[in-house]
Amino acid sequence: MIVVSLVLAGFAAVTLWWTMHAWRTPETLASTRFAAPDGEHRLTFSLLVPARHEQAVLEHTVERLLESTHTGFEIIVIVGHDDPETAEVAHRVAATAPGRILVVTDTNEQKNKPRALNTALPYCRGDVVGVFDAEDQVHPSLLEHVDHAFRSTDADVVQGGVQLINFHSSWYSLHNCLEYFFWFRSRLHLHARKGFIPLGGNTVFVRTDVLRAANGWDGTCLAEDCDLGVRLSSRGAKVVVAYDSAIVTKEETPGTLVSLLKQRTRWNQGFLQVYRKGEWRRLPEFGQRMLARYTLTQPFLQAFSGIVIPIGIAIAIWAELPVFVALITFVPVIPMAANLVFQTVGLRDFGLQYGLRTRWHHYARLILGAFPYALVLAVAALRAVWREYTGKRNWELTAHTGAHLTKEPVAAKSGVAA
Amino acid sequence: MSIAEAPTQVIMLPDVPVQPEPRPAPRRRSRADLYVAGGLAALVLFFLAWNITGFPTATDDEGTYLAQAWAVQHGQGLAHYTYWYDHPPLAWIQLAGLAWLPTVLAPELIAVAAGRIAMLPVVGASLILVYVISRRLEMSRWAAALALLTFGLSPLAITMNRQIYLDSFAVVWMLAALALALSPRKHLWHYAAAGAATAVSVLSKETMLLTAPAVLVAMWQNAAKTSTRPWAFGGYVSGLILVGVFYPLYALLRGELFPGAGHVSLIGAWQFQLTSRSGSGSVFEAGSGSHSLIAAWLYYDTVILVAGLAATVVALAVRRLRAPAIAAVILALVALRPGGYLPAMYVVQILPFLAIVIAGVADEGVRRLQPRRSWWRWAVLGVAAVTALTLVLPRWYVGDRRALTTDDNAHYAAAATYLREQLPDRATSTVVVDDVLWIDCVNAGYQREKVIWFYKLDLDTAVAATLKDGWRDVDYIVSTPALRQDPGSLPTVTKLLTNSTPIATFGPQDGRIEIRRIDKNKS
Repeated sequence: MIVVSLVLAGFAAVTLWWTMHAWRTPETLASTRFAAPDGEHRLTFSLLVPARHEQAVLEHTVERLLESTHTGFEIIVIVGHDDPETAEVAHRVAATAPGRILVVTDTNEQKNKPRALNTALPYCRGDVVGVFDAEDQVHPSLLEHVDHAFRSTDADVVQGGVQLINFHSSWYSLHNCLEYFFWFRSRLHLHARKGFIPLGGNTVFVRTDVLRAANGWDGTCLAEDCDLGVRLSSRGAKVVVAYDSAIVTKEETPGTLVSLLKQRTRWNQGFLQVYRKGEWRRLPEFGQRMLARYTLTQPFLQAFSGIVIPIGIAIAIWAELPVFVALITFVPVIPMAANLVFQTVGLRDFGLQYGLRTRWHHYARLILGAFPYALVLAVAALRAVWREYTGKRNWELTAHTGAHLTKEPVAAKSGVAA
Repeated sequence: MSIAEAPTQVIMLPDVPVQPEPRPAPRRRSRADLYVAGGLAALVLFFLAWNITGFPTATDDEGTYLAQAWAVQHGQGLAHYTYWYDHPPLAWIQLAGLAWLPTVLAPELIAVAAGRIAMLPVVGASLILVYVISRRLEMSRWAAALALLTFGLSPLAITMNRQIYLDSFAVVWMLAALALALSPRKHLWHYAAAGAATAVSVLSKETMLLTAPAVLVAMWQNAAKTSTRPWAFGGYVSGLILVGVFYPLYALLRGELFPGAGHVSLIGAWQFQLTSRSGSGSVFEAGSGSHSLIAAWLYYDTVILVAGLAATVVALAVRRLRAPAIAAVILALVALRPGGYLPAMYVVQILPFLAIVIAGVADEGVRRLQPRRSWWRWAVLGVAAVTALTLVLPRWYVGDRRALTTDDNAHYAAAATYLREQLPDRATSTVVVDDVLWIDCVNAGYQREKVIWFYKLDLDTAVAATLKDGWRDVDYIVSTPALRQDPGSLPTVTKLLTNSTPIATFGPQDGRIEIRRIDKNKS
């Protein structure tokens, strides 16, 4: 009991330590921002936008990309051969900017995001490949900043910030937004510094030659973004993360709790697949390998401790263990509660940075929703483990439905799969 | 534009080292600070340790805390009698952790005298922290050294710092919190650690909470104009609450948080202390407890108290000195409030802050004067320094010489020796003692249950229940000044004193220690 509690407390403390990386000192916080661009446009970009059943949002996204202040970029929209509605929109938009926009049709029988991206890779003419989702709101000056970041840091990969914005929509969206906030604002920077990074799914930029040398994305992986990051890290690629609330890519949380659960299950299962692939074992340093091991299994540790800690405390109280032992079972709660305090500060900071009003009931939601949200994550983690290990590893079916491209169909279809 | 299109001139840039070379200058400076602080602390510790067992007189409070540490050390819970949440227990848990020190260094001493040796590392840490805080308050090295020496060598400080008081533990942790809050790197985890240190301090002695605003002010100033200030406070609050909450949690798990019939409780103890504890009178009222206590402090050292309070008023106006000044002001105002209870060791808490403020104001004065400019400024400075030294040194010499030479505890030691070697049937006798001699009796082979702290005879029903025939079950009572302090307030003790005859007497008349045999045939 004592050992379990102390181990859990150790895990929670390490996670907290890393989560708070960016705010350790004022200097660290300053170093996480994009440096001010010098106004020169030296690199050229190929921006990949895979779209599947997203005719409603695609046009707006592409139009917004066209507003970019950078001069050297092309947009490659990837549509499925079985998705005429989206293809129609894509071709219509492409006609408005000939030479800028290319539409590539993915004819793979089984559709998923990595395969769509791989289909487009041979067509890329830019120095750098960037990935966006069809529903992203991209800031016009992002490319200028990224151009400068590549040149000034000599990076192979630049990961920009992604932020869920609609924290007021529901109780879980608040937590989801804050998760992104802490991940992109803080945690990823630590990963970049340590030389092991699971990349994000969009606003990620890779030098085209580096990407081609790595054979693009893994078409069979559920978390192709994470996988790419791990493979590039283990080949020693230099990754730079920069976050600036002014030019962050904005997204929205999944529309329902069930779709959030499905999305999280898929990510977790993807993490598990990346872990089992073992590419991370080729990382040169022991510390990096430990970080990889820890990061890839973290969803499961988190789920495990989310369940075990309350049980431990309950046992300690009801079984009338000695007071000293009972006190020890409360130790893992310290870092978790501290995390909640920091999330409260984070919510305020988030509101200030994005000019959103945070009211008292948002803070109440944050605190009251913390445990239910942990439960949702725990269920997602358990589902992922269960699907991966019980032969129900039918991600092909999920992939067939285009699970990763839109949110609503994921909810409907992968529910069937599960 | 690519590199191929660039002009033909090629500039070869040297590799930029990832880590800048270690800067030699700051390193040397910190080394010098280390030598100064370490050397002066060692010097002060020498004065503290010399004759630590002989002066001042062992007090009942010291015996109590040491006995509670003994209980923790021997796995008998948080006190040698029922723990009733009179103080949070962390200080004597720490004392229990240090208890190996005296047994190694001085096994033959009486327990309270030996226990004082365990206070030396605690005070040593406080001394170093006073220096560190002074430096972090941008004071010159000489001023930081002055703060350390003032805190270390004031006769009042020597007297109080030698004794086994919970306050010394609380002070070292609060100083640590202050030093962490002033972290030059402004590191988030330093602030969180400052919160945790504050909590440990308050759990060592609850009244130390009064000085927490000073830590907050220090943090507020230190984190000013940084982007991480809200996070710093988040860290501090997390550390403070999450460590502090373990005390009520402990009470809750034992079912002793809320008052109820048949058990002690944390909230009940708070209610008692806040409402029922009789005050010790106003400081300004001659003859009151508080008045005579302050008079005693002033007797040991007027300088640190008067100069310290004067400097505090000035320091409030200086931004960098405001944090320690606030701590001193709060503690002073609380001490001067009319009708409150003023404990004998209260002054321990204010001394380090007064020392820092005195040195800080001196530093500020020199800085304002800028003596480099002209000879008369140097002269002013010289006159001020000489005046201060002539005022201070003779007084401190007298006080410190007393601390280094007087032996006030010889009669206690003699009584302990008698109890250990000459009293017959030690294994079966029931003795009533004060807390100073309690551990010595237990160590001498008396049964732990049959060595009774005199207070408990009348105030603890569990203890009274062990004596089936009432006072006649007691064989001996050791009468000491502490035991005779409030005549008549403890009926059983009075009964024992009247129905007994002295078999051995030690010490002078007013401080005598008598070992008295109970005359069981009297009525």
